Amino acid sequence: MPPPEPDDLRHLGERIDEAGRRRTQGSKSAPPTSLDIAARFGTELMAAILMGAALGWGIDWAFDHWSHLQTRPWGMVVMFVLGAAAGIRNVMRAAQEINAKMAGKDVEK
Amino acid sequence: MAMNPMEQFEVKPLFQHPLLNIAGHDIYFTNQALFMCVVVAAISLFLTLTVSKNRLVPTRGQSMAELSYEFVANMIHSTMGEDGLAFFPFIFTLFMFVLFSNFFGLVPWTFTVTSQIAITFALASIVILTMVITGFMKHGLRFLTLFVPKAPWYLLLLLVPIEVISFLTRPVSLSVRLFANMLAGHTLLAVFASFVILLGAAGGVLSVLSIAPLLLIVAIFALEMLVAFLQAYVFAILTCIYLNEALHLHDHQ
Repeated sequence: MPPPEPDDLRHLGERIDEAGRRRTQGSKSAPPTSLDIAARFGTELMAAILMGAALGWGIDWAFDHWSHLQTRPWGMVVMFVLGAAAGIRNVMRAAQEINAKMAGKDVEK
Repeated sequence: MAMNPMEQFEVKPLFQHPLLNIAGHDIYFTNQALFMCVVVAAISLFLTLTVSKNRLVPTRGQSMAELSYEFVANMIHSTMGEDGLAFFPFIFTLFMFVLFSNFFGLVPWTFTVTSQIAITFALASIVILTMVITGFMKHGLRFLTLFVPKAPWYLLLLLVPIEVISFLTRPVSLSVRLFANMLAGHTLLAVFASFVILLGAAGGVLSVLSIAPLLLIVAIFALEMLVAFLQAYVFAILTCIYLNEALHLHDHQ
């Protein structure tokens, strides 16, 4: 290996400085692929709707089991709608995160 | 003939000991447990052996270990900032476990640990529990304002339940995403592999045609390599995002 040129050393110094800046400022990681985005949105929406419906079913079951109030099927109806709303909220939030990441990428360029 | 594409996901007991017994339930050492041990052993060996001879100019192995360290450290830094690095061991462990499980699953005759909802849901539960405990430790009861967006009070009646449901879906979506991706990919591979065998056994012109699904398997396998990495990355980055919300309450608004 030949002795390092002063030029090489300066170049190395610049790279070390750059790495240090990255460390303190924080770098944006790679933007997500479309496959990743599709999987993310799909599961966010689906999970919220299923969770809402399951909660509603649970509420109806609990009222049925422990009290004489007949809530069925209203608990499930209401919670299903709320679950769908939560799913859309999840997707909006995921989209905001991805947008922020993409925007950061553009600024770097 | 073993043509069932779901057969690969079967959890089989390998051995059992009379002493392994909790409240009348026998505890079996299954193929799933075996492969979790294999994955953990592989990660430990990989990380200790590659950095044991710590060189200034890294060898290939050492640079792989350093790259994975840097990758996770940068991810935490960019999503959670400086104080998020306290969670580095936790997130690095999660990332490496999911990554190695996904890649080990791609080796023929192995068992894919992350294709079991029990495993992925357990991992997601750990993440959410860590988030909740961190949030309450750092902010006390003020952590509950996570469920209260900025809105007029009459909208809050509607928005708070929505936010609560949205929060409850996190462990579900986190675990289902990883599990479904692994399950779908491996099932697809098995289905196309059975096409190769069926066409090959058909004889005549059809045997020649069996090359087509074989080529497709190669392509899907390449895609699965990408998915294996991507899902580990997504799992880790979502963990970072959730923990960030617990650490810096409402900072993002």
